[in-house]
Amino acid sequence: MALGAFAFSGCGEKEDGKASYALVTTGVDPFWDICKKGGEDAGVELGVDVEVLMPSNGDDQKSKLEDLLAKGVDGIAVAAIDPINQAGFFDEVAKNAMLITMDTDAPKTKRQVFVGMDNYDAGWMGGELVKEAIPDGGEVVLFIGRLEQDNAKRRRQGVIDCLLGREKDANRYDAPGQSQIGAKYTVLATLTDQFDRPKAKENVEDMLTKHENVAAMVGLFAYNPPAILEALKQAGKIGQVKVVGFDENPVTLQAIKDGSVHGTVVQDPYEYGYRSIKVLHALAKGDKSVIPENKKIEFPARQIRKDDVDAFWSDLNSKLGK
Amino acid sequence: MKKIKGILITMIVIYVATAILGENFLGGYNQGKLLERTGLYGLLAIGVAFVIITGGIDLSIGSVVCLVGCGVPWLVMRQGWSPGSAVAVAMVVALCVGLWHGFLITKLKLQPFVVTLCSLLIYRGATRGLAEDQSQGFGGEHEAFRQWGTEAIEVTHKFGIPYPFVILIVVAIIAWIFLNKTIWGRYLFALGNNEEAARLSGINTDRMVILSYVICSMLAALGGLLFILNGNSAQPSDFGNFYELYAIAAAVLGGCSLRGGEGTIVGVVIGTAVMQLLKNMINLVDWLKSHMEFLIVGIVLLVAVIADEIIKQRVRKLK
Repeated sequence: MALGAFAFSGCGEKEDGKASYALVTTGVDPFWDICKKGGEDAGVELGVDVEVLMPSNGDDQKSKLEDLLAKGVDGIAVAAIDPINQAGFFDEVAKNAMLITMDTDAPKTKRQVFVGMDNYDAGWMGGELVKEAIPDGGEVVLFIGRLEQDNAKRRRQGVIDCLLGREKDANRYDAPGQSQIGAKYTVLATLTDQFDRPKAKENVEDMLTKHENVAAMVGLFAYNPPAILEALKQAGKIGQVKVVGFDENPVTLQAIKDGSVHGTVVQDPYEYGYRSIKVLHALAKGDKSVIPENKKIEFPARQIRKDDVDAFWSDLNSKLGK
Repeated sequence: MKKIKGILITMIVIYVATAILGENFLGGYNQGKLLERTGLYGLLAIGVAFVIITGGIDLSIGSVVCLVGCGVPWLVMRQGWSPGSAVAVAMVVALCVGLWHGFLITKLKLQPFVVTLCSLLIYRGATRGLAEDQSQGFGGEHEAFRQWGTEAIEVTHKFGIPYPFVILIVVAIIAWIFLNKTIWGRYLFALGNNEEAARLSGINTDRMVILSYVICSMLAALGGLLFILNGNSAQPSDFGNFYELYAIAAAVLGGCSLRGGEGTIVGVVIGTAVMQLLKNMINLVDWLKSHMEFLIVGIVLLVAVIADEIIKQRVRKLK
């Protein structure tokens, strides 16, 4: 590893001016724009430099982290794309800069703390929304960008376990190709699209063809619920097939207002960004009290339904300065 | 007809197999969706076929899809332009893109692979900058405009012929007439077979090469426009990623030779349909898993190309 060759810049204020911190995301998405705003707001508040990098994949994330170390950034909050295989690399990073994780944890590394939530629990909340939408049970199909990410696996598993009435176990993993049949609810399949949006819509269309009796569809990544809605609209099946979403895509929120989406599970990306920078700055000053005993600063997910969508949306807009 | 025999048989085999193994494959809804997808992806494939016939290649198609697919809703929704003027500008930009590629390839003698590889990066990067990496779409507005990508000519209650497919057929007929019934079409094949000989026989080969890149970019732009009208959501970082490869694969399946000088429009349309059928089959047949998609598409492509080559060699021997 060439990492050892990088100059260790030390924590806290640099001689030439402000401390500098970085947020590194898992990808490019409106979700991360909200996180970015939170980080930048914290930066302004604390008078420190905040840089937000959005890599396109795991390899790109690695080189972006290396670049940050080369620049001598003081602290990094990273959303781990592949926590198990990246563990060794993260430990190297942690030797050269303060490292914390946000959104997606890498618990078996030397990261100091995790800022985010448990996606398994969020998935479980999504499962509860499905149960509300189709109380009599029925067939459910899940749609997601990719399953390689840890948070994606856990989120999906949470939905399935809730619907099947299982005991909570975040380490369970059902193969995506198989149907999970429960007493009332059957999860027929999980379709992935690798972030190709036309493909995301095609997947929904093909499931409408294959499973004429599908009762509910769940979009697990931010752009999946809009893709589901578009396909349902073109098939004339809005309302007939219930939709549950994740995240706060404006199309999803509008559809909750209109009644074509039952509800969505939202995280707090603004707070992830904001709190990550605050924690990094506190650590830089030697304040370890910001780290809780379990090394997790958690912001539980929330369910947004028709009743609370307006309040949630205006709060989000005000955070984004819209 | 001889040239498309192989791909036609491939399509029929996959079609029948999916009808037997898949669920509700023959339903009107699914058939309509297959036509819709063939329409969307087919425009890109016809475009690249023109370039391939001249012996060139265009790797920037997916990025042009991205540029137009994100650029048009960006102009309409964020800049307040009318859909008509946004589309006009998109087409002019695509025209300039094609002219630029053609200019670099014919006048500066750069290799098509290199030119369009750079373009692949440049247009995507430019779109990301322009749209500031934000998702683009029409929200719930401009429904009438979006109908070009979403509506269908109703045949029965459940089945209609989607507009994108109608547009593809119109484009395919024009392309077929151009390639087979006009002198320029013969020039294109001639220069693909032997550019030097074509030039010596008095054909303005540079002009024909430039024309092929213009056609390719403009059809990519039209495809990109219909993709966003149909799906209503585009993220600059990944919209249209790898679509040039789907287009090239469909063109090759349809009988285009990457050495140039060969190709039929009907074959390219059928090649596109085969690609879409395969994707549909993987989703509809229970024991095919979606993570096997690339594996299956790759194998079918290879088998079709090998079969085609063997048939051609047999025919040559018989002569």
